[in-house]
Amino acid sequence: MNDKQLIAQLKKRDRNALKDVYRQYKTEFFRFASRYSKDTVLLEDIFQDAIIAVYENVLAGKLDDLKSSLKTYLFSTGKFMIFKNFRDTKEVATEENYIFDRKETAVMEDVYEDEGPNENQKKLIESFKKLGDKCREILELFYLQGLKLEEIMSVQGYENKNVAKSQKSRCLKTLRELVGRG
Amino acid sequence: MDNEALINGYFEDNLSENEKGEFERLLNTDSEFAADFEFQKELQRSLKKEERQQIKAMFGAQNPFAEKTPTKVVRLRPWLMAASIALLVGISAWLIFFTNTGIDAGQLYDTNFVPYENVVHPIERGAQIEDLKTKAFTAYEDEDYGNALALFKELQQKQTDSYIQFYEAIVLMQLNKHQEAVPLLENYISGDGELKDRAIWYLALAYLKQGDTSKSSEQLDKLIKEDGFKAKAARQLLENL
Repeated sequence: MNDKQLIAQLKKRDRNALKDVYRQYKTEFFRFASRYSKDTVLLEDIFQDAIIAVYENVLAGKLDDLKSSLKTYLFSTGKFMIFKNFRDTKEVATEENYIFDRKETAVMEDVYEDEGPNENQKKLIESFKKLGDKCREILELFYLQGLKLEEIMSVQGYENKNVAKSQKSRCLKTLRELVGRG
Repeated sequence: MDNEALINGYFEDNLSENEKGEFERLLNTDSEFAADFEFQKELQRSLKKEERQQIKAMFGAQNPFAEKTPTKVVRLRPWLMAASIALLVGISAWLIFFTNTGIDAGQLYDTNFVPYENVVHPIERGAQIEDLKTKAFTAYEDEDYGNALALFKELQQKQTDSYIQFYEAIVLMQLNKHQEAVPLLENYISGDGELKDRAIWYLALAYLKQGDTSKSSEQLDKLIKEDGFKAKAARQLLENL
């Protein structure tokens, strides 16, 4: 799969595409990152964080018109993560120098700082899992994949945008009730 | 624009300047609006975090567990180690010299069979053990294989995760039911499961235990050709067959 295809698949939240990226770039990334640290456990964390950040930026549409290669984007993200981990690292000039905008760096910061769901968030997830398939789908499309209601309307086959809107609204209401019940 | 549409617009990122102003105003003055928005924001945060956990678990399963040290490693004192090695060499020499059967399949099996680590369903110790999958893998990790078998069989009925076959087969091998394990492993392998190369290794061991050295060798050859998981061990084992 070439870059464009990979990015398209990632945008659809295709887990196999994520695996492909992981497998494809792991060795090279470790080689690239090892000049900063020999701690392979840490490098593994950084690598995974980098892929996830790229993935989330793909979902946000940031790679829709990517001019450079996916590798450059990924490795530049990795560099960002590395510097987050080793603040006193001297900047080494490398080929991977993609310039990110503020939204992109916000995503990377968020991924870096993520300590995992807290207790309340875990409870929310538990309640979410109790929702029916249709509700989980529409909520994931909207809140996770970032689709607009109009897009969800076509993807899910609703008659019009308002149907999608009220369906989502109903699902949210159900979720709030489930959470309320604890 | 009603409140709901305003919040939707926030998430869709298509609010006009005016609408953004209205949004801010309501956020600061209307507590119901604020609570509504906060709930949705929290939902988004939770879903994101949950997805990241799932992706990381998936990545984790990509790795052979080479980094983890086996839990049961006995550290022998050097002289004891030397003595045991000498003894082993002596016994093997004696066996080779005096036994008619060239190989002891049972011995080879025992030295090579180790239950495969649970890499598919991370268990949080202390978490409420509610769902069936967690129960099954907890039993597996606790080496409660009788229980694990029953749970995996139940899981098979209810779920389509193909790796259940893989772990069920290992449990069967632990319980010395190799003829039941073999079809499960073969099925898993032909289904091209994630842990396919691991399954080939265990299949080789299962055939070995059943005394079918030619089928065992066939599987070992596959591993050697792939030159990945257990290629070296496969080569050594093959030499002994």
